[in-house]
Amino acid sequence: MPPSFLEERRKAALEVYEREPVPTWRRSGFWTTTLRNLHLDELEPRHYDPVGSVEELPEVAREALGSEELGGLIVQRGASTIYTELDPAFAEQGVVFTSLERAVEEHTELVEQWYMKRLSEDEGKFPAAAAAFWTGGAFLHVPKNLKLEKPIQVVYVIDEPGTAQYAHTLGVVGEFSECYLREYCLAPDFEGQALHAGGFELYCQTGSQVRLAHFQDWGAGEVYDISTKRVEIARDAHCGWVPIHLGGHLTKQTLDIITAEKGSDMRHNGLYFTEGTEHLDLFTTDLHEQGNTTGDTVWKGALTGESRASYEGLIQIEEGAQQTNTYLQTHSMLLSPKAKADSIPSLIVKTDDVSASHGGTVGEVDEEIVFYMMTRGISRQDAVRILVEGYFEPVIGKLEDDVLAELVRERIAGKIAAAEDHVEEYIAQR
Amino acid sequence: MSLEIQNLHVRIEDREILKGVDLKVSKGETHALMGPNGSGKSTLANTIMGNPNYEVTEGKILVNGEDVTEADPDDRAKAGVFMAFQYPATIPGVSVANFLRTAVNARREEPIKVKEFGQTLRTNMDLLKIDPEFTKRYLNEGFSGGEKKRAEILQLAMLKPEFAVLDETDSGLDIDALRIVSDGVNALRGPDLGTLIITHYTRILQYVTPDFVHIMLDGRIVQEGGRELADQLEEKGYDWVREEVAAGAS
Repeated sequence: MPPSFLEERRKAALEVYEREPVPTWRRSGFWTTTLRNLHLDELEPRHYDPVGSVEELPEVAREALGSEELGGLIVQRGASTIYTELDPAFAEQGVVFTSLERAVEEHTELVEQWYMKRLSEDEGKFPAAAAAFWTGGAFLHVPKNLKLEKPIQVVYVIDEPGTAQYAHTLGVVGEFSECYLREYCLAPDFEGQALHAGGFELYCQTGSQVRLAHFQDWGAGEVYDISTKRVEIARDAHCGWVPIHLGGHLTKQTLDIITAEKGSDMRHNGLYFTEGTEHLDLFTTDLHEQGNTTGDTVWKGALTGESRASYEGLIQIEEGAQQTNTYLQTHSMLLSPKAKADSIPSLIVKTDDVSASHGGTVGEVDEEIVFYMMTRGISRQDAVRILVEGYFEPVIGKLEDDVLAELVRERIAGKIAAAEDHVEEYIAQR
Repeated sequence: MSLEIQNLHVRIEDREILKGVDLKVSKGETHALMGPNGSGKSTLANTIMGNPNYEVTEGKILVNGEDVTEADPDDRAKAGVFMAFQYPATIPGVSVANFLRTAVNARREEPIKVKEFGQTLRTNMDLLKIDPEFTKRYLNEGFSGGEKKRAEILQLAMLKPEFAVLDETDSGLDIDALRIVSDGVNALRGPDLGTLIITHYTRILQYVTPDFVHIMLDGRIVQEGGRELADQLEEKGYDWVREEVAAGAS
C-alpha cells in the first residue's frame, strides 16, 4: 500500500490531468509548439522484466554507457526499472540510490520530506501526467559530508513505439557533500510515436558541490519529450548543470535553477543540436530568491535540416535578493537554409543593487573561417564539423567528464556528416 | 616543378582586379612580389588558394603542371600550395595543436603517430621560439599580431608544402618578431620549397633575400628583376615605378 502522501499527490495530479486540455504553446512571432500530431490515446506504459547484468541492457543504453565504472546505475525501460546497482562502498556510507518506487516504500519519511518540494502537479497537463502516472523513477540521497568519486547514473530508455513513459527523478545531496549525477534519455531509431513526460528535481543542501549532466538523444523516431527539471541550491552550495539535447521529434522542456539561499552559486551550460524536422522548445529560468547569489547561464545550439529550435532564457531576481550577480547568454548557429532558430533572453528584476545582464545571437557558418581551414587541406565537411565542435567546446568542457564529452562529440560529428547535403546547400545559397 | 600563373584575370563582383598576371615560382626559389596597397597582391594570393570571393575570368594556375584553376582550396593545399594569411581567421574552441594535427592528417592516409607529431611540433616551435603553452590556446583567439604570424609560419613548417605564398607576413610585426619570423622562413628555405613573399615594404627582404623581385601595379606585373630591384624600390619608392611605367607606355 503506497503511503498516503503519495496517494494524495497522485490524486491531485490526476484531477489536473483530466481537467487540462492538451496544450499548445504560442509566443509572439512565428513560434508555436503544438501536440496536434501526438496520438496520446494510442500510447501506453510498457512493462519489462528486470535484467541481471549490464550486458543484458538494451543496446541503446549499452552504447551510451560504454565501459566506464559507475558509482551507481538505474535503468528504466518504458515503465519498468530493469536494472539497479550501487557501489557497496557508497551504500555502506549511507548513500541511497534506488528506484523512486522502492524508495517510497523503504525510505518513506525521507522521500516525503523532499518529494515535489519544487515541482507542482498544477503546471499543466503533462507535468500533471508525470506526477500522476510515474512508475519506476529514481531516488538519490547522499548523506552529509561525503564525496562520491564516481558518477551516479540514471538512464531512461524508450525502445518501442507506442510507449508512454512517465518518469520522476528525485535527488538530494546532503550538506557539504560532493557528487556527480548524470541522467540519460535514450531511444534507438524506430518508426512510430512515443512519449516521455518527466519530472526531475534535485536539491543541493548547504555547502554541497554538485555536478549534474543531462544527455538526451531520442533517436529518429517520433518521440515527444515534455518535461520539467528543477534544481534548488541552498546556502553556500554550488551546482554546475550541463544539459545536452541531441534531438527528439518534439521536445518541450522547462529547466529551472534556483539559487534559494545566500551564497549559492549556479553554472548552467547547455547545448542543443537539432536535425531533420525536429522541434525543440526550451524555457530556462535562473531564479534568484535571495541575495549574494551568483549565476552564469550559457546555451549554445546548432540546427540542421528543417529543424526548429527556440531557447528562451529568463533571469528572475526576487525582492530582497540584493547583491545578486548573474549573466545569461544564448547563441544559435544555423547550418541549413531551412532551419529556424529563436534565442530570447529576458530579465525580471524585483530589487535594486544587482548585476544582471544577458545577450543573444543567431549566427551562421563563417565562410572566411571555412576557407582558411580548407587552405590547410581540410575538407569543407571537416571544416564545418571543426567549426561546430569548436563552437560547442566551451560547453562540452564544462562537463569535466571525458567519457560523456567524447560521446557528445561523436554524436555531433555523426549528425553533421548526415546533414552534409543541407550544409552544402546552405553555403551554396549564400 | 613549379607554381605557375598564366595570364590571370580576376574579378571581385564587377571590378577587375588582376588584368593578366604571369608568374612562375620554381621549387628552391624565393620570389618577392611587391606593390602598393590596392595593386592586387592579396587578390593574387587569395586566387592562388581558391578563395570563392574571387572570380577567375581568364588564365590559369598550374601546380607542377596540374591545372588547379577550378579546384577547391583543400585540393590545392593537397597539391602542395600553402598560404600564410595576412589576417588569419580565429577558430574558437580549437587549439593550435588540435588544428595542426587535423591539418597534418588531412594530407595523410594514416593519421600521424602522437609521438611523431609531438616531436615535429616541438622542433618547429623551438625554431620559431614559440612557448609550448601556446599550442593549447585556441587558434588565433586573443593572439597578438606577432603571435598570429608565428602561428602561420608554424603551420607552414608543419605542413611542408612545395610552394608557400606569404601574404604580407611582415605587416604588423615589430623588429624582434620580424626577425623571428624571417629566421623561420630562412630555415625552411631549400630545394624542396618555392616561396612567394608578398609585401608592401622592403624591410622583410633585408632578412629574407629573394632570388627574384616582381613589382605589381594596378593588377599587372610591371617590373621584374633580381634583389637589386628591391633596393632600388627602397630608395626611390613606388612613384618611381609609376613614372617608369608611364614613360614606357608613351
